Amino acid sequence: MTETPNLVPGGDFSDSEIEADGFSIRYREAGSGDALVCLHGGGGLKLTGVHDILAASRRVVAFEIPGFGASPENTRSASLEELAGTMNAAVSALGIEAFAVMGNSFGANLALMMAVIRPEPIQSIVLVAPAAIRLEAPPATIDPRADPSTLLYAHPERQPVAQPTPPEIQAKQRALVGRLIGPPCDRPFEDRLSAIEVDVLALFGTLDRVTPPEVAHLYREIIPTCNLVMVYDAAHAIDADRPEAVASVVDDFLTHHEGFLVRRKSGVIHP
Amino acid sequence: MKAALFCTSRYNGEASHSVWPAPTDTYETELAERSMQGTLERYRLGDELGFDWVTVAEHHFAPFSMTPNPMVMAAALINVVKNAKIAILGPDIPILDPVRVAEEMAMVDTLSGGRVVAGLMRGSANEYVTYNVNPSESRGRFDEALELIRMAWTEQQPFGWQGRYYEYRSICIWPKPVQQPHPPIYISTASPESGEFAARHRLGAGFAFTTLQIATEAAKFYRERCRDYGWEPTPDQIIYRLATHVADTDEQAIEELTSAGGGTPAVGLSFRNRAVERAVAESGYYGRDIDTQRARLQSRGEVLSRIEKGQVLVGCPETVLKQIKRIRDAIGAGIIDVTVASQLGDKALRSIELFGTKVLPRMREL
Repeated sequence: MTETPNLVPGGDFSDSEIEADGFSIRYREAGSGDALVCLHGGGGLKLTGVHDILAASRRVVAFEIPGFGASPENTRSASLEELAGTMNAAVSALGIEAFAVMGNSFGANLALMMAVIRPEPIQSIVLVAPAAIRLEAPPATIDPRADPSTLLYAHPERQPVAQPTPPEIQAKQRALVGRLIGPPCDRPFEDRLSAIEVDVLALFGTLDRVTPPEVAHLYREIIPTCNLVMVYDAAHAIDADRPEAVASVVDDFLTHHEGFLVRRKSGVIHP
Repeated sequence: MKAALFCTSRYNGEASHSVWPAPTDTYETELAERSMQGTLERYRLGDELGFDWVTVAEHHFAPFSMTPNPMVMAAALINVVKNAKIAILGPDIPILDPVRVAEEMAMVDTLSGGRVVAGLMRGSANEYVTYNVNPSESRGRFDEALELIRMAWTEQQPFGWQGRYYEYRSICIWPKPVQQPHPPIYISTASPESGEFAARHRLGAGFAFTTLQIATEAAKFYRERCRDYGWEPTPDQIIYRLATHVADTDEQAIEELTSAGGGTPAVGLSFRNRAVERAVAESGYYGRDIDTQRARLQSRGEVLSRIEKGQVLVGCPETVLKQIKRIRDAIGAGIIDVTVASQLGDKALRSIELFGTKVLPRMREL
């Protein structure tokens, strides 16, 4: 018996480009209804089962941040704030007036900055393994001898087979993230985060050694509207490791906002 | 070395010890009350004699052990046992609500001034019928529940949990444990899977109702894996539990324990319902060394052969001390968890007294 190959997520997503703030920005889109804008992490645009599941009940737009993938190197965005302005412009260019935003890792930093500089259209924020608030030194639970290839996935064996990103693209992306991500403890940025008023959901993988669960409490302490959720048995790429678990809580959060705390699934076994 | 006292809260009246669940058609409330009071008295005596720990366990639907909720017994012991640590060995976490387990243990730790030892167990095969949980999920539930319990004890901000078996939207328990970051955790390390898990998570190891030969192999494996993970367990992190009866002479101790059916029932709890045990075995519950695990749980016999197998401590204080030394030398256990045959009544009390006065002081020197 042969094993069924993993299906590549995002098969129903279209692939387009939009002009905004002087950039030609690629995006992938599926679904209809309330808009969810997605911002990828430092590894580039990679759709997961989470995008597929969420697109069943809403319009999901996943941007490729200028400077990532096949786009030209981005030396123009001088700060995270400038890049956030570009992404807000891209959302507007698509005619989206109100939206939720979901960012992974570095993309979470960008999502937060988008809300800081233009809060009005943003209805809620989802942070997946966010890198906005980091520790000066890694916690003791992080084993420095750990195999770096295990940092992204708790379960690499479950990931679809994908072409590796060419080294020159990786280098270009790393340089952009390194230039814009800011210091581990960025007090002025944290002060601005504390002014966020919309509901925030922050997800942390219990096996994440890049943005470990030990930092989760800081988000709650700095952003009063932040709800923390630990995703068991997931590393930094939480949504790739546990797509159903992530999509389930994100869907509830986007639908019910802070009311997502209350269970709505029936407990009836035999009606 | 240290000693723990385990009293099973046995129903000391007419009851079936060969079927599970045991029917209650012969149950008498007054006998049950007296049995419970007797249990508390044995624990009180053990504490007065200087036992380091008293231990409680979870079992369901059986007259052998009337503590379906060990947390309740632990709470009842707080004012009975003044000095000893209260070892809850333990809740069967795959069949329980892990948040509730975290809350209750933290509560007992707070009420007792930080005396809780946290044994987190999978439970015997039959327990999966109790609350209708699929035994094939036992290990997955256990691993996840343990991590969740630990996080519930330590995390200061409310957090949700998207697990494989458990889902919560907001957890922030009150009280938190007195012991920081949390009470010491032990798990049963009978199987290679659990030995590996304990080593990886730096947990203490428990061996119960096994044979010394099997436990020696398992302890060796646990130690090797601990070394691989860069740490060495202390003697206090290895517990060995076994039936015990001490009398003035070896002959008297053997005769008394034989009359009590060998100290533990002839049929282990898991095997009192063969259909359930077989179905649980087929589910994969036992793990990769299923034959060893099933043999361990069925290993019963005459008292003399059980002494040889390291399944019972029997004899006069001097003899029992030698038997303890043999266990210590074989597996490096620093804590012997003494299970008394409560059906022996006053003789069980005498056994506790002899152990506490004649064996325990000399164990300290080992």
